[in-house]
Amino acid sequence: MKTKFKIRRSDPLKAEPYWQAYSVEVKEGMTVLDALLKISEGDDPTLSFRRSCRSAICGSCALTINGFPKLACSTQILPIAKETREVTVEPLSNHQVIKDLVVDFTPFWNKMEKVTPFLLPADETRKEWVIKKEDEKAIDRAQKCIMCGSCNAVCNSLDVDPNFIGPAASAKAWRFVGDVREGHRKKRLERLSGEHGVWDCVRCVHCTEYCPKDAAPLEAIERLRAKAIEEGVVENPGAKHVLSLVDSIKRVGRLDEAAMTFKTLGFLRSLGMIPFGLKMEIHGKLPHPIIFLAIEGMKEVKKIYSAVEKRRKKG
Amino acid sequence: MVIHDVIVIGAGLAGMRAAVEAAREGLNVAVVSKVHPVRSHSVAAQGGINAALKETDSWEDHMFDTVKGSDYLADEDAVEVLCREAPADIMELERMGAVFSRDDAGKIAQRPFGGAGYPRTCYLADRTGHGLIHVMYEQLAKKNVYLYDEWHVVEIVVEDKSVRGVIALELLTGKLHRLHSKAVVIATGGYGRLFNTTTNALSSTGDGMALALRAGAPLMDMEFVQFHPTTLKRTGILMTEGARGEGGYLINKDGERFMKRYAPKTLELASRDVISRAEQREIEEGRGVDGCVLLDLRHLGEEKINERLPQIRELSINFAGKDPVREPVPVKPGAHYSMGGIWTDVDGKTPVSGLFAAGECACLSVHGANRLGGNSLLETIVFGRRAGSAAAGFSFENKLRVFPEDALKDTARGIALILNRAEGESASGILKEARDAVEGHCWVFRTEAGLKQGLLEIRKLKERYEGVCVTDRGDGFNTELVTALEAGYILELSEVMLLSALNRTESRGSHFRTDFPERNDREWLKHTLIYKKDGGYDIRYRDVVMTKFKPEERKY
Repeated sequence: MKTKFKIRRSDPLKAEPYWQAYSVEVKEGMTVLDALLKISEGDDPTLSFRRSCRSAICGSCALTINGFPKLACSTQILPIAKETREVTVEPLSNHQVIKDLVVDFTPFWNKMEKVTPFLLPADETRKEWVIKKEDEKAIDRAQKCIMCGSCNAVCNSLDVDPNFIGPAASAKAWRFVGDVREGHRKKRLERLSGEHGVWDCVRCVHCTEYCPKDAAPLEAIERLRAKAIEEGVVENPGAKHVLSLVDSIKRVGRLDEAAMTFKTLGFLRSLGMIPFGLKMEIHGKLPHPIIFLAIEGMKEVKKIYSAVEKRRKKG
Repeated sequence: MVIHDVIVIGAGLAGMRAAVEAAREGLNVAVVSKVHPVRSHSVAAQGGINAALKETDSWEDHMFDTVKGSDYLADEDAVEVLCREAPADIMELERMGAVFSRDDAGKIAQRPFGGAGYPRTCYLADRTGHGLIHVMYEQLAKKNVYLYDEWHVVEIVVEDKSVRGVIALELLTGKLHRLHSKAVVIATGGYGRLFNTTTNALSSTGDGMALALRAGAPLMDMEFVQFHPTTLKRTGILMTEGARGEGGYLINKDGERFMKRYAPKTLELASRDVISRAEQREIEEGRGVDGCVLLDLRHLGEEKINERLPQIRELSINFAGKDPVREPVPVKPGAHYSMGGIWTDVDGKTPVSGLFAAGECACLSVHGANRLGGNSLLETIVFGRRAGSAAAGFSFENKLRVFPEDALKDTARGIALILNRAEGESASGILKEARDAVEGHCWVFRTEAGLKQGLLEIRKLKERYEGVCVTDRGDGFNTELVTALEAGYILELSEVMLLSALNRTESRGSHFRTDFPERNDREWLKHTLIYKKDGGYDIRYRDVVMTKFKPEERKY
């Protein structure tokens, strides 16, 4: 079946990126990478893209295919071509383009380095550690990461703040924090809870949704947050926000926004929120700052809290 | 000019292990790799890594299995080092951060593998290489090793038989750089891409071997290429031996477990060469299914497949459209591993002063005529470490020697010649014909007539390659230029492999000559050595080192 490929190309010497179309004869089982190779070996050898293992394990060929990040090597063409009649291929978003489909991965690797990406064992001399199945399992998913960059490409927080640590490096960080052999857990959590750290994730779930290896970066981020609170790393807006939410619901059964603002930001920084509060007041959206009624059925809320507490004590 | 104490070419497991070891000595170490370290082909190793860890196992048994598996072509002194040092290296990998799969007691689990008399393969589900390469990359970061990634080494600079450094092409800018150093370690992996049907990455083009040959080092046993018995039909993608280690069957079109006719004792866990030949026979004698045999895992059940072989299930579904939980997966032999390579001693030393090699690109030889599963990852770690340490030692003991003035100019001229050629043939066209010739004449079964024909075709292609030309004349990320350079390496290695295979008039391990179907210990207990000489090749031979075991008939 002849299939039209629309490829987003850029030449460092030309100012604007442009679309180029190719027609490729597609057979059953052919992948997008096969098509790119076919184009570069025949029609157009100037087309640049990264590739290596072609079996979905080296992480070289993540591209935006029909609008979403995918590994070119494990994406079959026929199922998508039947649906959309053409296949568009673009470089990964949230990354600077170098040429054609090749993007600059330097910021990606720099983020990895920021999380101290190696084990700092609690006991350097120990020969073989006894590792229980559940310990192995705790970090198994994060360890499946192949560093293809798909998650960072669809991360909404990274889109807004290029300094955000991002899902890929967070998954890497959890791989160490969650390792029973690690000796510097708390120090790691303190750094990860700082500015541009794991609390900046807005939990849009894109990273987990588009991960081609089921590494579930969001799960790693959530585990890091929970572990940070568990270890008492709470002197930061993210942890404070969560704790005040828990507290607010415990007290009144719903969000007490004014109190939460104070608890999250502290007194001085809350003053800075006054203009925003006034705007809300004009639109009738500001909850009463002092009179704040608990919901009916607080009894049920209390029950939930004590049940959770019991379960936590049991571990 | 940039100066390093030690330069490592290649950032797979062997290269990174060597770099980490040299950096431990406090040296200024750099790794130059054409892909980022975690993209290196070690990442695709699935099954595991061997070591005699248990009290009921011993390194001597591991050594015996390895020597027998090699069809007695392995050098026993080297195999002894490999097997003796394996357990300590596994423990060190754990300390670095690797998490091997555990048994119920929380200890490192081990699974049975082909050709081994004891379950001694440690693993990380079915992505052992992936686990290890990320750990080694972590260590590289920890040791602050300088990394030049997406740089292609295009020349190893040697003068007066001593190494002076390398010249590398920076892919991003197209610039050529001189990297001056006392010692160079080559760790560029195998040459699976001499073939069409291969489990190897697109980047496994044997660059380092060709560069070493040009720099004056000999290549050894290049006729020995392992054909893995279970690769996917269309793509050659690997289905780990672990699938059979966990109890998978191989069946033909009649549903018969045909291995009982070829290896009655060990069945699907016979050595890889034995199984690949059995499969090829079944297919050629009409008992195959559409050019394949079938790998049947259904009886293992969904739970075990998901736990132990998750990647195998994913690959089968995505690349062959078959879910192994529900139906058998068609498989056939594919080129998998290069037993041959740059001749080194047990410290990775080559005959060129200051030049070392380790991993798949090297040949000691620990694998002889056929490698056992689980021994290649082990080789990268044991001999990567040893080569790194030896290169560091060399660097301490020797002064930096002068980098020849003209080296860069000569290399630049060679590349400019390709870039400026107004018209000619494309590299990918030449490559396609070269791979067809190699696969057609140097596959599982070989004959004199076929090998001669193959040689003839490759030599013609080499002439045509003199007129190779590129369409992309830009500087940045010119992957077409890289393909053209790789084509040169592939043609060179193809010729060396065909020549070595033609001369070896016996059948041993992976090298099977239908015109000489027997192993001939009287004449052929020796290694092939090929040197480059006056535009041609000089073939010599070297006796196999035997210390403990007498060659006997190999039965599985």
